[in-house]
Amino acid sequence: MNKMQTTETSKIHTTGIHWHKLTAVMKLKTRALFSKNFIIMPIFAIGLTLALKFLYRFIADGNDEMLTFMYSMALGLGVTMNVSMTGMVCTSMSLAEEKEKHTLRALMTSSVNGLEFFLGSIIPVLAMIVAVNILLILVAGISISPAGWALWLGISLLCSIASTVLGMILGICAKNQVNASTLSTIPLLVFAMIPSFSAFHPTIKKISDLLFTGILMDTSKSLMTGTPTVEPIGLAVIAVEIALAVIAFLLIYRRNGYDAD
Amino acid sequence: MTNEFIRLTHIFKSFGKTEVLKDLSAVLHQGEILGFLGPSGAGKTTTIKILTGQLKPTAGDAYVLDTHVKDINTTIYEQIGIVTDQSGIYERLSVYDNLKYFAQILRVNAGRIDELLKRVGLYEHRKKPAGKLSKGQTQRLVLIRAVLHKPKVLFLDEPTSGLDPSTALEIHNMLTEFKEEGMAIFLTTHNMEEAAKLCNHVALLNNGQIVEYGTPEELCLRYNKDKRYRLLLSDGSTLVLGQTPAEIDRLSDLLREDKVNSLHSCEPTLESVFLTVTGRSLQ
Repeated sequence: MNKMQTTETSKIHTTGIHWHKLTAVMKLKTRALFSKNFIIMPIFAIGLTLALKFLYRFIADGNDEMLTFMYSMALGLGVTMNVSMTGMVCTSMSLAEEKEKHTLRALMTSSVNGLEFFLGSIIPVLAMIVAVNILLILVAGISISPAGWALWLGISLLCSIASTVLGMILGICAKNQVNASTLSTIPLLVFAMIPSFSAFHPTIKKISDLLFTGILMDTSKSLMTGTPTVEPIGLAVIAVEIALAVIAFLLIYRRNGYDAD
Repeated sequence: MTNEFIRLTHIFKSFGKTEVLKDLSAVLHQGEILGFLGPSGAGKTTTIKILTGQLKPTAGDAYVLDTHVKDINTTIYEQIGIVTDQSGIYERLSVYDNLKYFAQILRVNAGRIDELLKRVGLYEHRKKPAGKLSKGQTQRLVLIRAVLHKPKVLFLDEPTSGLDPSTALEIHNMLTEFKEEGMAIFLTTHNMEEAAKLCNHVALLNNGQIVEYGTPEELCLRYNKDKRYRLLLSDGSTLVLGQTPAEIDRLSDLLREDKVNSLHSCEPTLESVFLTVTGRSLQ
Protein backbone atom coordinates (compact mmCIF):
# COMPACT_ATOMS: atom_id res chain seq x y z
CA MET A 1 0.00 0.00 0.00
CA ASN A 2 2.82 2.33 0.87
CA LYS A 3 4.27 2.10 -2.64
CA MET A 4 0.93 2.95 -4.17
CA GLN A 5 0.59 5.89 -1.85
CA THR A 6 3.92 7.38 -2.73
CA THR A 7 3.42 7.07 -6.45
CA GLU A 8 0.84 9.86 -6.40
CA THR A 9 3.07 12.11 -4.38
CA SER A 10 4.96 15.13 -5.67
CA LYS A 11 3.08 15.31 -8.94
CA ILE A 12 1.08 18.30 -7.80
CA HIS A 13 2.24 21.20 -9.86
CA THR A 14 1.39 24.56 -11.23
CA THR A 15 2.62 25.79 -14.56
CA GLY A 16 4.05 29.07 -13.34
CA ILE A 17 7.52 29.76 -12.07
CA HIS A 18 7.91 31.88 -8.95
CA TRP A 19 11.28 33.57 -9.09
CA HIS A 20 11.80 33.64 -5.31
CA LYS A 21 11.18 29.89 -5.04
CA LEU A 22 13.42 29.10 -8.00
CA THR A 23 16.17 31.28 -6.52
CA ALA A 24 15.84 29.57 -3.15
CA VAL A 25 16.16 26.09 -4.68
CA MET A 26 19.08 27.22 -6.86
CA LYS A 27 20.93 28.67 -3.86
CA LEU A 28 20.53 25.45 -1.93
CA LYS A 29 21.60 23.29 -4.85
CA THR A 30 24.62 25.52 -5.53
CA ARG A 31 25.64 25.16 -1.92
CA ALA A 32 25.24 21.38 -2.16
CA LEU A 33 27.32 21.35 -5.35
CA PHE A 34 30.29 22.72 -3.42
CA SER A 35 30.02 20.02 -0.75
CA LYS A 36 32.79 17.44 -0.75
CA ASN A 37 30.52 14.73 -2.21
CA PHE A 38 29.95 16.66 -5.40
CA ILE A 39 32.84 19.09 -5.91
CA ILE A 40 35.19 16.15 -6.28
CA MET A 41 33.78 15.49 -9.77
CA PRO A 42 34.68 18.75 -11.53
CA ILE A 43 37.96 18.76 -9.60
CA PHE A 44 38.66 15.26 -10.93
CA ALA A 45 38.02 16.43 -14.52
CA ILE A 46 40.44 19.36 -14.09
CA GLY A 47 43.02 17.20 -12.33
CA LEU A 48 42.80 14.53 -15.03
CA THR A 49 43.37 17.06 -17.81
CA LEU A 50 46.31 18.62 -15.97
CA ALA A 51 47.90 15.25 -15.20
CA LEU A 52 47.49 14.03 -18.78
CA LYS A 53 48.91 17.28 -20.12
CA PHE A 54 52.11 16.84 -18.13
CA LEU A 55 52.28 13.12 -18.94
CA TYR A 56 51.78 13.68 -22.68
CA ARG A 57 54.36 16.48 -22.74
CA PHE A 58 56.82 13.98 -21.33
CA ILE A 59 55.77 11.25 -23.82
CA ALA A 60 55.76 13.58 -26.89
CA ASP A 61 59.31 14.59 -26.11
CA GLY A 62 59.24 17.78 -28.24
CA ASN A 63 57.23 16.36 -31.16
CA ASP A 64 54.81 19.28 -31.69
CA GLU A 65 52.42 17.45 -33.99
CA MET A 66 52.13 14.55 -31.58
CA LEU A 67 51.81 16.95 -28.64
CA THR A 68 48.87 18.76 -30.27
CA PHE A 69 47.11 15.44 -30.84
CA MET A 70 47.77 14.29 -27.29
CA TYR A 71 46.70 17.61 -25.75
CA SER A 72 43.42 17.30 -27.65
CA MET A 73 43.05 13.81 -26.13
CA ALA A 74 43.65 15.23 -22.66
CA LEU A 75 41.15 18.03 -23.17
CA GLY A 76 38.60 15.64 -24.69
CA LEU A 77 38.90 13.25 -21.75
CA GLY A 78 38.55 16.11 -19.28
CA VAL A 79 35.44 17.58 -20.86
CA THR A 80 33.67 14.26 -21.37
CA MET A 81 34.41 13.34 -17.75
CA ASN A 82 33.19 16.73 -16.58
CA VAL A 83 29.98 16.71 -18.60
CA SER A 84 29.14 13.07 -17.82
CA MET A 85 30.15 12.90 -14.17
CA THR A 86 29.08 16.33 -12.98
CA GLY A 87 25.94 16.31 -15.10
CA MET A 88 24.66 12.84 -14.40
CA VAL A 89 26.10 11.87 -11.04
CA CYS A 90 25.73 15.20 -9.20
CA THR A 91 22.18 15.71 -10.43
CA SER A 92 20.98 12.18 -9.75
CA MET A 93 22.64 11.94 -6.34
CA SER A 94 21.31 15.31 -5.28
CA LEU A 95 17.74 14.28 -6.13
CA ALA A 96 18.23 10.87 -4.53
CA GLU A 97 19.52 12.51 -1.35
CA GLU A 98 16.40 14.71 -1.17
CA LYS A 99 14.28 11.56 -1.41
CA GLU A 100 16.39 9.59 1.04
CA LYS A 101 16.30 12.33 3.68
CA HIS A 102 12.61 13.13 3.04
CA THR A 103 13.41 16.75 2.25
CA LEU A 104 11.88 16.47 -1.24
CA ARG A 105 8.47 15.83 0.28
CA ALA A 106 8.94 18.72 2.70
CA LEU A 107 9.87 20.95 -0.22
CA MET A 108 7.01 19.89 -2.47
CA THR A 109 4.53 20.44 0.36
CA SER A 110 5.95 23.91 0.91
CA SER A 111 4.60 25.24 -2.39
CA VAL A 112 7.62 24.54 -4.64
CA ASN A 113 6.28 23.08 -7.88
CA GLY A 114 7.88 20.42 -10.07
CA LEU A 115 9.17 22.86 -12.68
CA GLU A 116 10.77 25.14 -10.08
CA PHE A 117 12.47 22.14 -8.49
CA PHE A 118 13.63 20.85 -11.89
CA LEU A 119 15.13 24.17 -13.01
CA GLY A 120 16.51 24.93 -9.55
CA SER A 121 18.25 21.55 -9.57
CA ILE A 122 19.81 21.66 -13.03
CA ILE A 123 20.75 25.34 -13.52
CA PRO A 124 23.58 25.34 -10.92
CA VAL A 125 24.94 22.10 -12.39
CA LEU A 126 24.80 23.53 -15.92
CA ALA A 127 26.67 26.62 -14.73
CA MET A 128 29.27 24.47 -13.00
CA ILE A 129 29.84 22.27 -16.07
CA VAL A 130 30.18 25.22 -18.45
CA ALA A 131 32.51 27.05 -16.05
CA VAL A 132 34.72 23.98 -15.70
CA ASN A 133 34.73 23.48 -19.48
CA ILE A 134 36.01 27.06 -19.84
CA LEU A 135 38.62 26.36 -17.19
CA LEU A 136 39.69 23.20 -19.01
CA ILE A 137 40.49 25.25 -22.14
CA LEU A 138 42.74 27.42 -19.97
CA VAL A 139 44.27 24.38 -18.31
CA ALA A 140 44.96 22.83 -21.72
CA GLY A 141 46.72 26.08 -22.59
CA ILE A 142 45.16 26.69 -25.99
CA SER A 143 44.13 30.02 -27.39
CA ILE A 144 40.92 30.18 -29.37
CA SER A 145 39.10 32.88 -31.32
CA PRO A 146 35.92 34.59 -30.07
CA ALA A 147 33.99 32.45 -32.56
CA GLY A 148 35.69 29.38 -31.12
CA TRP A 149 34.68 30.44 -27.60
CA ALA A 150 31.08 30.96 -28.73
CA LEU A 151 31.03 27.50 -30.31
CA TRP A 152 32.61 25.94 -27.25
CA LEU A 153 30.20 27.59 -24.81
CA GLY A 154 27.21 26.67 -26.96
CA ILE A 155 28.18 23.02 -27.39
CA SER A 156 29.15 22.75 -23.71
CA LEU A 157 25.77 24.12 -22.65
CA LEU A 158 23.80 21.84 -24.98
CA CYS A 159 25.71 18.74 -23.87
CA SER A 160 25.30 19.76 -20.23
CA ILE A 161 21.54 20.00 -20.71
CA ALA A 162 21.41 16.46 -22.10
CA SER A 163 23.58 15.18 -19.27
CA THR A 164 21.66 16.87 -16.42
CA VAL A 165 18.28 15.77 -17.76
CA LEU A 166 19.63 12.21 -17.86
CA GLY A 167 20.80 12.78 -14.29
CA MET A 168 17.28 13.82 -13.24
CA ILE A 169 15.87 10.63 -14.82
CA LEU A 170 18.40 8.54 -12.90
CA GLY A 171 17.54 10.48 -9.73
CA ILE A 172 13.84 9.73 -10.15
CA CYS A 173 14.57 6.04 -10.57
CA ALA A 174 16.98 5.88 -7.60
CA LYS A 175 15.74 5.15 -4.09
CA ASN A 176 18.78 6.59 -2.34
CA GLN A 177 22.26 7.95 -3.00
CA VAL A 178 23.93 4.54 -3.16
CA ASN A 179 21.31 3.40 -5.65
CA ALA A 180 21.80 6.60 -7.68
CA SER A 181 25.52 6.00 -7.80
CA THR A 182 24.99 2.41 -8.98
CA LEU A 183 22.40 3.40 -11.58
CA SER A 184 24.73 6.09 -12.94
CA THR A 185 27.57 3.68 -13.58
CA ILE A 186 26.45 2.28 -16.95
CA PRO A 187 25.38 5.62 -18.51
CA LEU A 188 28.63 7.08 -17.19
CA LEU A 189 30.66 4.33 -18.85
CA VAL A 190 28.77 4.79 -22.12
CA PHE A 191 28.91 8.58 -22.29
CA ALA A 192 32.38 9.10 -20.80
CA MET A 193 34.37 6.07 -21.90
CA ILE A 194 33.19 5.41 -25.47
CA PRO A 195 34.31 8.85 -26.76
CA SER A 196 37.57 8.41 -24.82
CA PHE A 197 38.39 5.23 -26.77
CA SER A 198 37.00 6.44 -30.10
CA ALA A 199 40.49 7.05 -31.48
CA PHE A 200 41.41 3.40 -31.12
CA HIS A 201 38.83 1.63 -33.29
CA PRO A 202 36.52 2.73 -36.13
CA THR A 203 33.47 0.97 -34.65
CA ILE A 204 33.93 2.73 -31.34
CA LYS A 205 34.28 5.99 -33.26
CA LYS A 206 30.98 5.31 -35.07
CA ILE A 207 29.22 4.75 -31.75
CA SER A 208 30.92 7.80 -30.28
CA ASP A 209 29.60 9.91 -33.16
CA LEU A 210 26.10 9.06 -31.98
CA LEU A 211 26.71 10.36 -28.45
CA PHE A 212 26.57 14.00 -27.37
CA THR A 213 29.80 13.46 -25.46
CA GLY A 214 31.39 12.16 -28.67
CA ILE A 215 30.41 15.35 -30.47
CA LEU A 216 31.80 17.35 -27.55
CA MET A 217 35.10 15.50 -27.74
CA ASP A 218 35.33 16.08 -31.50
CA THR A 219 34.64 19.78 -30.94
CA SER A 220 37.40 19.96 -28.34
CA LYS A 221 39.82 18.33 -30.80
CA SER A 222 38.86 20.86 -33.47
CA LEU A 223 39.70 23.65 -31.00
CA MET A 224 43.19 22.20 -30.58
CA THR A 225 43.78 22.10 -34.30
CA GLY A 226 42.80 25.78 -34.59
CA THR A 227 39.68 25.19 -36.70
CA PRO A 228 36.80 25.12 -34.23
CA THR A 229 33.90 23.41 -35.89
CA VAL A 230 30.98 21.10 -35.34
CA GLU A 231 29.29 19.20 -38.15
CA PRO A 232 25.53 19.74 -38.69
CA ILE A 233 25.06 16.02 -38.05
CA GLY A 234 26.76 16.51 -34.69
CA LEU A 235 24.36 19.30 -33.79
CA ALA A 236 21.48 17.07 -34.87
CA VAL A 237 22.76 14.24 -32.62
CA ILE A 238 22.88 16.58 -29.64
CA ALA A 239 19.43 18.02 -30.39
CA VAL A 240 17.88 14.55 -30.78
CA GLU A 241 19.46 13.32 -27.54
CA ILE A 242 18.27 16.36 -25.61
CA ALA A 243 14.78 15.87 -27.05
CA LEU A 244 14.81 12.15 -26.17
CA ALA A 245 16.05 12.87 -22.65
CA VAL A 246 13.38 15.52 -22.09
CA ILE A 247 10.61 13.27 -23.46
CA ALA A 248 11.79 10.37 -21.29
CA PHE A 249 11.95 12.66 -18.27
CA LEU A 250 8.44 13.99 -18.86
CA LEU A 251 7.01 10.50 -19.33
CA ILE A 252 8.60 9.22 -16.13
CA TYR A 253 7.75 12.38 -14.19
CA ARG A 254 4.12 12.38 -15.31
CA ARG A 255 3.78 8.80 -14.22
CA ASN A 256 5.54 8.93 -10.87
CA GLY A 257 6.46 12.49 -10.00
CA TYR A 258 9.92 12.68 -8.48
CA ASP A 259 9.21 9.61 -6.33
CA ALA A 260 9.35 6.62 -8.65
CA ASP A 261 9.76 4.30 -5.69
CA MET B 1 -14.80 32.06 3.41
CA THR B 2 -16.57 30.68 6.47
CA ASN B 3 -14.66 29.57 9.52
CA GLU B 4 -15.03 25.98 8.31
CA PHE B 5 -11.49 25.17 7.18
CA ILE B 6 -11.79 21.46 6.45
CA ARG B 7 -14.78 19.38 5.38
CA LEU B 8 -14.69 15.67 4.62
CA THR B 9 -17.89 14.24 3.14
CA HIS B 10 -18.28 10.51 2.52
CA ILE B 11 -14.62 9.96 1.61
CA PHE B 12 -13.61 6.55 0.33
CA LYS B 13 -10.12 5.47 -0.65
CA SER B 14 -9.04 2.16 -2.13
CA PHE B 15 -5.65 0.83 -3.15
CA GLY B 16 -6.45 -1.84 -5.68
CA LYS B 17 -9.09 -4.02 -4.08
CA THR B 18 -8.20 -2.92 -0.57
CA GLU B 19 -10.53 -0.29 0.81
CA VAL B 20 -8.56 1.74 3.37
CA LEU B 21 -11.00 4.60 4.02
CA LYS B 22 -14.72 4.01 4.25
CA ASP B 23 -17.21 6.83 4.25
CA LEU B 24 -15.31 9.38 6.33
CA SER B 25 -17.10 12.61 7.20
CA ALA B 26 -15.80 15.30 9.53
CA VAL B 27 -15.48 19.06 9.87
CA LEU B 28 -12.72 21.27 11.29
CA HIS B 29 -13.33 24.92 12.12
CA GLN B 30 -10.94 27.81 12.64
CA GLY B 31 -9.29 27.77 16.06
CA GLU B 32 -10.11 24.12 16.69
CA ILE B 33 -8.17 20.89 16.89
CA LEU B 34 -9.71 17.83 15.28
CA GLY B 35 -8.10 14.56 16.31
CA PHE B 36 -8.15 11.40 14.26
CA LEU B 37 -7.52 8.74 16.83
CA GLY B 38 -6.74 5.20 15.90
CA PRO B 39 -4.14 2.44 15.88
CA SER B 40 -1.50 2.04 13.19
CA GLY B 41 -3.04 1.19 9.84
CA ALA B 42 -6.41 2.73 10.70
CA GLY B 43 -6.14 5.23 7.82
CA LYS B 44 -5.00 8.37 9.65
CA THR B 45 -2.02 9.16 7.42
CA THR B 46 -4.01 8.35 4.27
CA THR B 47 -6.60 10.91 5.39
CA ILE B 48 -3.90 13.56 5.80
CA LYS B 49 -2.48 12.72 2.39
CA ILE B 50 -5.90 13.15 0.81
CA LEU B 51 -6.48 16.46 2.58
CA THR B 52 -3.09 17.79 1.52
CA GLY B 53 -3.51 16.76 -2.11
CA GLN B 54 -0.88 14.03 -1.99
CA LEU B 55 -3.47 11.34 -2.68
CA LYS B 56 -6.77 11.49 -4.50
CA PRO B 57 -9.88 10.04 -2.89
CA THR B 58 -11.60 7.19 -4.69
CA ALA B 59 -14.98 8.75 -3.93
CA GLY B 60 -16.43 11.54 -1.86
CA ASP B 61 -15.60 15.20 -1.42
CA ALA B 62 -13.07 16.94 0.75
CA TYR B 63 -12.46 20.65 0.99
CA VAL B 64 -9.50 22.46 2.52
CA LEU B 65 -9.93 26.23 2.83
CA ASP B 66 -12.85 26.04 0.38
CA THR B 67 -10.71 24.25 -2.23
CA HIS B 68 -11.74 20.79 -3.32
CA VAL B 69 -8.82 18.42 -2.82
CA LYS B 70 -9.02 17.39 -6.48
CA ASP B 71 -8.28 21.01 -7.43
CA ILE B 72 -5.39 21.46 -5.00
CA ASN B 73 -2.18 22.82 -6.49
CA THR B 74 1.05 23.88 -4.87
CA THR B 75 -0.32 27.32 -3.90
CA ILE B 76 -2.46 25.68 -1.19
CA TYR B 77 0.79 24.96 0.66
CA GLU B 78 1.22 28.69 1.21
CA GLN B 79 -1.77 28.45 3.54
CA ILE B 80 -1.21 25.11 5.21
CA GLY B 81 1.59 23.51 7.20
CA ILE B 82 2.38 19.81 7.39
CA VAL B 83 4.30 17.77 9.93
CA THR B 84 4.65 14.06 9.33
CA ASP B 85 7.32 11.47 9.99
CA GLN B 86 8.32 12.12 6.36
CA SER B 87 9.10 15.78 7.08
CA GLY B 88 12.84 15.70 6.55
CA ILE B 89 15.41 18.34 7.39
CA TYR B 90 18.60 19.35 5.60
CA GLU B 91 21.06 17.74 7.98
CA ARG B 92 24.17 19.56 6.73
CA LEU B 93 22.52 22.98 6.95
CA SER B 94 22.34 24.81 10.25
CA VAL B 95 19.05 25.02 12.14
CA TYR B 96 18.78 28.68 11.10
CA ASP B 97 19.56 27.98 7.43
CA ASN B 98 16.96 25.21 7.31
CA LEU B 99 14.33 27.75 8.34
CA LYS B 100 15.80 30.52 6.15
CA TYR B 101 15.46 28.28 3.09
CA PHE B 102 11.77 27.70 3.68
CA ALA B 103 11.27 31.33 4.75
CA GLN B 104 12.55 32.40 1.33
CA ILE B 105 10.26 29.96 -0.45
CA LEU B 106 7.26 31.09 1.58
CA ARG B 107 8.23 34.78 1.58
CA VAL B 108 8.51 35.02 5.35
CA ASN B 109 10.37 37.81 7.11
CA ALA B 110 13.65 36.65 8.66
CA GLY B 111 12.54 38.15 11.99
CA ARG B 112 9.92 35.43 12.25
CA ILE B 113 12.70 32.80 12.29
CA ASP B 114 14.31 34.25 15.41
CA GLU B 115 10.90 34.67 17.04
CA LEU B 116 10.03 31.02 16.55
CA LEU B 117 13.50 29.74 17.46
CA LYS B 118 13.29 31.60 20.77
CA ARG B 119 9.75 30.40 21.35
CA VAL B 120 10.74 26.72 21.14
CA GLY B 121 14.11 27.05 22.84
CA LEU B 122 16.23 26.39 19.75
CA TYR B 123 17.70 29.88 19.44
CA GLU B 124 20.97 28.88 21.11
CA HIS B 125 21.22 25.94 18.71
CA ARG B 126 20.58 28.03 15.59
CA LYS B 127 24.13 27.65 14.24
CA LYS B 128 24.29 23.92 14.90
CA PRO B 129 23.97 21.55 11.91
CA ALA B 130 20.39 20.29 11.96
CA GLY B 131 21.63 16.70 11.76
CA LYS B 132 23.17 17.09 15.22
CA LEU B 133 19.89 17.89 16.96
CA SER B 134 18.19 15.42 19.29
CA LYS B 135 14.93 13.82 18.20
CA GLY B 136 12.89 16.23 20.32
CA GLN B 137 14.79 19.25 19.00
CA THR B 138 14.37 18.00 15.42
CA GLN B 139 10.64 17.62 15.94
CA ARG B 140 10.46 21.19 17.28
CA LEU B 141 12.41 22.38 14.25
CA VAL B 142 10.03 20.58 11.89
CA LEU B 143 7.07 22.03 13.75
CA ILE B 144 8.25 25.63 13.59
CA ARG B 145 9.16 25.19 9.95
CA ALA B 146 5.56 24.13 9.33
CA VAL B 147 4.21 27.27 11.02
CA LEU B 148 6.79 29.74 9.66
CA HIS B 149 4.23 31.26 7.30
CA LYS B 150 1.42 31.32 9.89
CA PRO B 151 -0.69 28.74 8.06
CA LYS B 152 -4.43 28.69 8.47
CA VAL B 153 -4.45 24.90 8.77
CA LEU B 154 -1.79 22.74 10.34
CA PHE B 155 -1.67 18.99 9.67
CA LEU B 156 0.14 16.94 12.28
CA ASP B 157 0.71 13.22 11.85
CA GLU B 158 1.67 11.69 15.20
CA PRO B 159 3.67 14.78 16.23
CA THR B 160 4.78 13.46 19.62
CA SER B 161 5.36 9.85 18.66
CA GLY B 162 8.58 8.60 20.25
CA LEU B 163 9.23 11.82 22.18
CA ASP B 164 9.95 12.04 25.89
CA PRO B 165 7.10 13.36 28.08
CA SER B 166 8.63 16.81 28.66
CA THR B 167 9.19 17.44 24.93
CA ALA B 168 5.68 16.14 24.21
CA LEU B 169 4.35 18.59 26.81
CA GLU B 170 6.23 21.47 25.16
CA ILE B 171 4.71 20.54 21.83
CA HIS B 172 1.25 20.31 23.39
CA ASN B 173 1.66 23.80 24.81
CA MET B 174 2.71 25.12 21.41
CA LEU B 175 -0.27 23.52 19.73
CA THR B 176 -2.61 25.05 22.29
CA GLU B 177 -1.07 28.46 21.60
CA PHE B 178 -1.44 28.01 17.84
CA LYS B 179 -5.06 27.02 18.33
CA GLU B 180 -5.70 30.10 20.44
CA GLU B 181 -4.18 32.20 17.66
CA GLY B 182 -6.89 30.88 15.32
CA MET B 183 -5.05 28.09 13.57
CA ALA B 184 -7.11 25.01 12.70
CA ILE B 185 -5.18 21.84 13.54
CA PHE B 186 -5.80 18.40 12.10
CA LEU B 187 -4.07 15.97 14.42
CA THR B 188 -3.63 12.24 14.06
CA THR B 189 -2.50 10.27 17.06
CA HIS B 190 -2.83 6.96 18.79
CA ASN B 191 -2.21 8.67 22.12
CA MET B 192 -5.62 9.01 23.76
CA GLU B 193 -4.36 11.30 26.52
CA GLU B 194 -3.00 13.68 23.90
CA ALA B 195 -6.30 13.63 22.04
CA ALA B 196 -8.36 14.16 25.17
CA LYS B 197 -6.15 17.02 26.29
CA LEU B 198 -5.85 18.90 23.01
CA CYS B 199 -8.78 18.14 20.74
CA ASN B 200 -12.08 19.95 20.44
CA HIS B 201 -13.44 17.00 18.50
CA VAL B 202 -12.13 13.51 17.99
CA ALA B 203 -12.94 10.87 15.41
CA LEU B 204 -12.19 7.31 16.47
CA LEU B 205 -10.90 5.57 13.40
CA ASN B 206 -10.85 1.81 13.03
CA ASN B 207 -10.09 -0.07 9.80
CA GLY B 208 -10.68 3.08 7.77
CA GLN B 209 -14.03 3.86 9.33
CA ILE B 210 -15.05 6.51 11.85
CA VAL B 211 -16.64 4.48 14.61
CA GLU B 212 -17.30 7.43 16.95
CA TYR B 213 -17.19 11.20 16.57
CA GLY B 214 -17.66 14.03 19.05
CA THR B 215 -15.93 16.00 21.75
CA PRO B 216 -13.74 13.90 24.05
CA GLU B 217 -16.12 14.62 26.93
CA GLU B 218 -19.17 13.62 24.92
CA LEU B 219 -17.62 10.33 23.91
CA CYS B 220 -16.51 9.48 27.42
CA LEU B 221 -19.91 10.34 28.89
CA ARG B 222 -21.73 8.48 26.10
CA TYR B 223 -20.06 5.27 27.25
CA ASN B 224 -20.33 6.00 30.96
CA LYS B 225 -23.01 3.33 31.42
CA ASP B 226 -22.12 2.22 34.93
CA LYS B 227 -21.65 5.42 36.87
CA ARG B 228 -19.04 4.79 39.51
CA TYR B 229 -16.88 6.83 41.87
CA ARG B 230 -13.41 6.07 43.18
CA LEU B 231 -12.73 7.18 46.74
CA LEU B 232 -9.44 7.47 48.58
CA LEU B 233 -10.26 7.12 52.23
CA SER B 234 -8.47 8.67 55.20
CA ASP B 235 -7.15 5.24 56.27
CA GLY B 236 -5.35 4.95 52.93
CA SER B 237 -7.67 2.42 51.35
CA THR B 238 -9.54 2.93 48.09
CA LEU B 239 -13.14 2.20 47.41
CA VAL B 240 -15.24 2.19 44.25
CA LEU B 241 -18.94 2.89 44.63
CA GLY B 242 -21.77 2.81 42.13
CA GLN B 243 -25.16 4.51 42.14
CA THR B 244 -27.37 1.98 43.89
CA PRO B 245 -29.34 3.47 46.84
CA ALA B 246 -27.15 1.53 49.27
CA GLU B 247 -23.94 2.78 47.70
CA ILE B 248 -25.21 6.37 47.66
CA ASP B 249 -26.03 6.05 51.39
CA ARG B 250 -22.56 4.64 52.03
CA LEU B 251 -20.97 7.54 50.13
CA SER B 252 -23.05 10.06 52.11
CA ASP B 253 -21.99 8.44 55.38
CA LEU B 254 -18.32 8.50 54.46
CA LEU B 255 -18.53 12.15 53.45
CA ARG B 256 -20.42 13.07 56.58
CA GLU B 257 -17.87 11.28 58.73
CA ASP B 258 -15.07 13.11 56.88
CA LYS B 259 -13.40 9.86 55.88
CA VAL B 260 -12.93 10.76 52.23
CA ASN B 261 -9.59 12.23 51.15
CA SER B 262 -10.43 12.31 47.44
CA LEU B 263 -13.36 11.48 45.19
CA HIS B 264 -13.22 10.87 41.43
CA SER B 265 -15.85 9.84 38.93
CA CYS B 266 -14.92 6.75 36.92
CA GLU B 267 -16.11 7.68 33.41
CA PRO B 268 -14.27 5.79 30.68
CA THR B 269 -11.20 7.19 28.94
CA LEU B 270 -11.03 7.54 25.16
CA GLU B 271 -8.92 4.41 25.12
CA SER B 272 -11.55 2.37 26.92
CA VAL B 273 -14.23 3.88 24.67
CA PHE B 274 -12.18 2.77 21.68
CA LEU B 275 -11.79 -0.68 23.19
CA THR B 276 -15.53 -0.89 23.84
CA VAL B 277 -16.45 0.21 20.32
CA THR B 278 -13.88 -1.77 18.34
CA GLY B 279 -12.79 -4.55 20.65
CA ARG B 280 -9.15 -3.64 20.02
CA SER B 281 -6.52 -1.50 21.70
CA LEU B 282 -5.17 1.79 20.34
CA GLN B 283 -1.53 0.81 20.66
